[in-house]
Amino acid sequence: MTANQNELLSALVDGELKGNELKQALQLLSTNDAARAQFQRHQLVSDVLHGHMSQNIAVDLTGRIADAILDEPAITLPQKRKALVIPFPTQFWKQATGLALAASVGAMAVMGLTNQSQIQLRPVTAVASIEAPTQSMTVAQAGNRWTVGQQEVEERLNTYLVNHNEYAGASSVFSYARVVSYDVGQ
Amino acid sequence: MDLELVQRVQEGDKKAFDVLILKYQQRIVHVITGFVHDPVEALDVAQEAFIKAYRAIPNFRGDSAFYTWLYRIAINTAKNHLTARARRPPAMDVDALDATNYYDAPELKEFETPESNLISTELEHAIQQAIQDLPEDTATAIRLREFEGMSYEEIAQVMDCPIGTVRSRIFRAREAIEKQINQIMSEEE
Repeated sequence: MTANQNELLSALVDGELKGNELKQALQLLSTNDAARAQFQRHQLVSDVLHGHMSQNIAVDLTGRIADAILDEPAITLPQKRKALVIPFPTQFWKQATGLALAASVGAMAVMGLTNQSQIQLRPVTAVASIEAPTQSMTVAQAGNRWTVGQQEVEERLNTYLVNHNEYAGASSVFSYARVVSYDVGQ
Repeated sequence: MDLELVQRVQEGDKKAFDVLILKYQQRIVHVITGFVHDPVEALDVAQEAFIKAYRAIPNFRGDSAFYTWLYRIAINTAKNHLTARARRPPAMDVDALDATNYYDAPELKEFETPESNLISTELEHAIQQAIQDLPEDTATAIRLREFEGMSYEEIAQVMDCPIGTVRSRIFRAREAIEKQINQIMSEEE
């Protein structure tokens, strides 16, 4: 036993060894009886200093326990399951690429038509904004309600509906409009 | 370091468990003697507790310190042993969280015999004498380690010296104390 080995075992008692040094100390203990006895003496000193000493001063249970667990299988922790990765077949990627291309073309077509429809809509919007004062005046006159009985309002509503149908037909968006009106007495 | 040893055992290294036994057997036997008065019987129960710990070690996840976990197993094994023998377990318990300080538990003192008390007293005097005889630096290093529970790194900072020097001083102190202990033990024999 060298002085360094003795120091190593003393440090092992204090739990101050890690990595290679711990491995070295464990190797020493498993192959060298003198080292084992030395380690026990160091441990005994520490136990005595802490008042851990039992009436059996020369306790050594290692032999008895080693015999008892000799026939037991070595402990092996269950391995953590890794996520099973199944690669997609080549055919899948070909189909996915085709679908992605088709979806892109479809999206571009919808966006293009939408822009075109907005351009067509501009004159209608302009007309509406020009005629807005008349409309607000009509609403005011009817007591905050559309009065279908008025010829001017009815014509305007019809114009809106025609424009809406034209716009909806061109853009492939479903055409739907609802006109709500109230009787004068309501 | 205990956790590293436990991990090695969990990986199938039985030698690592051997070191854990060497490290804790005195303490575990001492605890069990508090329940099982007969020293020979206490050794059997301690052996059983270590075997149980070995079998259960795959389930140890490090949520508590290894010794606290082992202590619980030892206490349960001792109680089961007494129950199996139709003897009533002592109506006291030591909190597992205070396991590291169990030697201060007054309940356990009553199980000590006059002979063991005499040996303990002699050992205490011998150890105190051995430490007093040490060079000042060496005595301080072992005191900080054993009585203050400081790590080597902390001792190195306190004493303003390299960790390697701390390790050497503590080793030399242990050697000196060992001589005193061996002398007393040989006189007892």
